[in-house]
Amino acid sequence: MELLLMKKSSSISTIFTKKIIQMNNVSTSYDSKNYALKGINLSIDKGTNYAIVGKSGSGKSTLLKLMNGMMSPSEGTIKIEYQTPKMNDKNFKVLMHKIGYIPQSLGLIKNISVLENVLIGALPRLGKIQSMFKIFPEKEIQEAKNILKLVGLSGKEERKAYMLSGGEKRRVAIARALMQKPTILLADEIVSELDQATAREIMELISDAQKRMNLTAIMVHHDIRLALEYSNRVAVIQEGEKILEIGIEGDKIMDFETGGLTNQEILEMYSDESKK
Amino acid sequence: MNQKNNLIVGIIIGLVVVASYNVDANPIEFVEGLPNLAIVAEEMTQVDAELFGTAFWSMFETIQMAFIGTIVGVAIALPLSMFAARNLNSKFVYGPVRAILAAIRTFPSILWAILFVIMVGLGPFAGVLAIIMYTVGFVAKLQYESIETIDADPMDAVSSIGVSKWQLIRYVVIPESAPHLLSQMLYMFDYNVRQTSILGLVGAGGIGFYIINYIKFFEYGKAAVFMLVVLITVLIIDWISVKIRDKYIIKSQHGMEVTTT
Repeated sequence: MELLLMKKSSSISTIFTKKIIQMNNVSTSYDSKNYALKGINLSIDKGTNYAIVGKSGSGKSTLLKLMNGMMSPSEGTIKIEYQTPKMNDKNFKVLMHKIGYIPQSLGLIKNISVLENVLIGALPRLGKIQSMFKIFPEKEIQEAKNILKLVGLSGKEERKAYMLSGGEKRRVAIARALMQKPTILLADEIVSELDQATAREIMELISDAQKRMNLTAIMVHHDIRLALEYSNRVAVIQEGEKILEIGIEGDKIMDFETGGLTNQEILEMYSDESKK
Repeated sequence: MNQKNNLIVGIIIGLVVVASYNVDANPIEFVEGLPNLAIVAEEMTQVDAELFGTAFWSMFETIQMAFIGTIVGVAIALPLSMFAARNLNSKFVYGPVRAILAAIRTFPSILWAILFVIMVGLGPFAGVLAIIMYTVGFVAKLQYESIETIDADPMDAVSSIGVSKWQLIRYVVIPESAPHLLSQMLYMFDYNVRQTSILGLVGAGGIGFYIINYIKFFEYGKAAVFMLVVLITVLIIDWISVKIRDKYIIKSQHGMEVTTT
């Protein structure tokens, strides 16, 4: 269990017991027989650093898209802050702004500057005329600069996004999400393609921001070790089903649902891929 | 090359011969006509240098017509292309808009010019209107096609922030398709200068008016002056647009990829 000793003693406060995300028996299907996700139950407390681990094609990215309303389940119910996520719903759009979503591809706009990419996170707070003529209030520009400083990109505000390195691009995507002043942060495998050192820097940055802003962070990972190291709770998804959920308190591992597998077995299952 | 390919090539050659017979395209007549070309070419060398002043002024008029036509045409085409893009609208919006654009493209600019000469009378204004129509039809098509090919990832990422559709267009669609738009504007301006040069044929102003008149009166030497000016102008515009392309388009499309490690 030396893995768990590596974990930083995080000080999640247990007073936040509000369930910010609840999924009941959620399934999504391509057609009547093939399911991307099958009967997923999830309940995430406010302020948790939650990790979802699974192999490619296990349905873990779909889970995030269900949470921000980009996809709808074919069965079951989802509640995000007691609302059902639905992209074209006017009421949900307000909540959507409070959900920072970083896709695996990051989705930066390559021809514009770092600062402008970050300011996009503030767009729903802008009026029609202001956004049409790109007139950002001084307050927002200052905020964007502060966030860029936080993610370690000060001095690079005017660079075009395509000129950045992989690690820097991730920092910009995180900054854009933080610019939304989110309560929930969803990140889809954003460190998988990075080398170990850079991946850790990015993970540190997110857990730092998560604690400082009391965010609920939900991160999808390929590597279970990284998930155990930085998260309070880890769910393992295999072929569309949740086969395991473990919580970490201090140095102790707490099983919630093991599905008959031991922790060691789970770790071994994913160790091949995490050695990369 | 296998038997099947030989057969296909044979059929194509056969079709060209049959079609040529049908339209009276006779290579012998072409060879017999060559001496006539020599006469024209010889007369063309008798350039009337006094006409260069007039030629440059009429070229300047042509360029201005093409410039107005391109800018106004693009300004109209841009919003239309947003409505015609399949990834931004429902089919009830893009369907009719595409139909209108296709109808506009059906007419070549010379037919638009005839129509506008009837409407607003002889002169450059009819030519400008014709160029606008032609530009709208073409740029809107090129532009909605380039909008449809922009990366879905930034669109998804930014729409998940909860922005409005107009903000999505302003901050994702326009910047992502801007290099294409600039490229299309340059191409269109280049094309419009050449187009405007012949719109004079139907009385819609520009340098073409002089060219057609001198040719009608067999004054090839005088026409040659004007044609030479068109050639020089097109070469200069081509050179400038290559410079602009290198500076703004090539660079942003092949953005320097810096690797992490």
